[in-house]
Amino acid sequence: MILQVQEVHKRFGGLQALTDVNFEIAPGEIMGLIGPNGAGKTTLFNVINGVYPPTKGQVVFREEKITGLPPYEVARRGLARAHQVVRPLNDLTVRENVMVGACFGRERLSLGKAAQKADEALAKVGLADRAGQLAGSLNVAQKKRLELARALAANPYLLLLDEVLAGLTPSEIVGMMDTLRNIRDEGFTILMIEHVMQAIMSISDRIIVLDYGQLIAAGKPGEVAANPLVIEAYLGDPDMTARLMAE
Amino acid sequence: MPLNRKNKLLDLAAAKRRGPETRDWQVTQILPSIIDGLLIGFVYGVAAMGLTLIWGVMRVINLGHGATMALGMFCTYFLFSDLAVNPYLGILAVVVLSLLFGFIIYGVALQRVIQAGYLSTLLATFAVNMIIIGVGTALFTTSPRNIDFSAGSITLGPVILQGTRLLAALAAVVITGALYLFLYCTRPGKAIRAVSNNRAAAELMGIPSSYVLALAFGLGTMLAAVAGGLTSTFFPFTILSGATYQLKSFVICVLGGLGNPLGALLGGLFLGGLEGVIPTFMPVSWVPVVEFVLFVLVLVVKPTGLLGAK
Repeated sequence: MILQVQEVHKRFGGLQALTDVNFEIAPGEIMGLIGPNGAGKTTLFNVINGVYPPTKGQVVFREEKITGLPPYEVARRGLARAHQVVRPLNDLTVRENVMVGACFGRERLSLGKAAQKADEALAKVGLADRAGQLAGSLNVAQKKRLELARALAANPYLLLLDEVLAGLTPSEIVGMMDTLRNIRDEGFTILMIEHVMQAIMSISDRIIVLDYGQLIAAGKPGEVAANPLVIEAYLGDPDMTARLMAE
Repeated sequence: MPLNRKNKLLDLAAAKRRGPETRDWQVTQILPSIIDGLLIGFVYGVAAMGLTLIWGVMRVINLGHGATMALGMFCTYFLFSDLAVNPYLGILAVVVLSLLFGFIIYGVALQRVIQAGYLSTLLATFAVNMIIIGVGTALFTTSPRNIDFSAGSITLGPVILQGTRLLAALAAVVITGALYLFLYCTRPGKAIRAVSNNRAAAELMGIPSSYVLALAFGLGTMLAAVAGGLTSTFFPFTILSGATYQLKSFVICVLGGLGNPLGALLGGLFLGGLEGVIPTFMPVSWVPVVEFVLFVLVLVVKPTGLLGAK
């Protein structure tokens, strides 16, 4: 198993954000993580990559406990994350941003090799022609791609993707989906949060569903979409339910 | 403001009064003064780079900057006077010692308060300043010292260039070049720039920010101490001398745009040149007045510095 999340609880003061979350990801697997807003999806990512320590429970990455390690230690072990709220280094160029991912990720490359790796990653996400631009000058869709390129350049064992499709226009989503399929075909192991149901249903091997901090369902996309618990969790959002039913 | 205006009018009047009689004297005097000032300005620039690097990367205002410069002066001095080490070799020793000193100060005084906000780090570095000055005063007294070392001089027409100042300027250029190579062509340099840009994001990208902050503080301390060492080869000094240079460094940082090392060097040259020119047409005691009027003007008119784009 690449990642094992064992009995993870996370509490913020009086708010129980995660309760007894358990799941595993096998190498090469694409795991989708869905759930209504506020279900704790991003919190779960934060616990996995070390932004917060869990209140209780363990995170095991490639047979090593990484619970409580700071984010840079987790990144160094080969777990890269593309954030929902993109945070590029605005005063550095696009290429330099991606090089940071390559330099300080799993492979700890030298600058020369990192530049090469960065160019490869930028080509994969379709940003090659922007390499020399300052990251601050990119638009939202491009920043999302930059975030993805930075995570890819680290050549991680596991890629956490947090809503890389959010905030994109329908045509941008189509483009990004192609990029994601290419990445999947290269054999990366991915755990992704996504609200665009059609996208996550078509790309994931398995899906887990969080609701109020608890895992309520797990399984193949078709099974999960038909699960009454999942439909109930989404009922507050009829539109989303309809789309789920349509799958 | 009315007071400043009045001062300026007085200056103008004084300059006019002196004008006709002193013009010939000025022409032959002003060029050497400017050049002399510019050479010293390189050293000011190196000191200011230390301050601006620490601010840019760590968001810490280092009030121990001046005291660190004074330590650099004393280190160079004792190596020269007690061990007969050539001051320029002595400065190489200063490079190593001050880097270590910076790491220690970071670990002892700053690491714990770095997340606590500007006031805490400001007070921590102020405490470091007071400790250095207190210990220094007790050990070395405050009687002036100077390094009795001559590197000859070069005469170019009306201009006589002192060897020590030429070498100091040369060293400053080499140091600036080395700093830029380090920041732009090495992995630790890249980490420093990433942390400077966004500490939280850099950490999420796999950069151990506390090591990077220690490195930045070490480098900033080193630049200050080396600038002190270079200054000690041509100006007398005491343990308290750092204060003046620290103020100049602040002016220079603001001129060049806080956080911009190249801006710091250019700001240093500008201030040095100004210090060369001013005494040729008004009393030397006006130098700080002009410098700080300039400081206030830059803050009011272009707070991002003369080189700051944003």
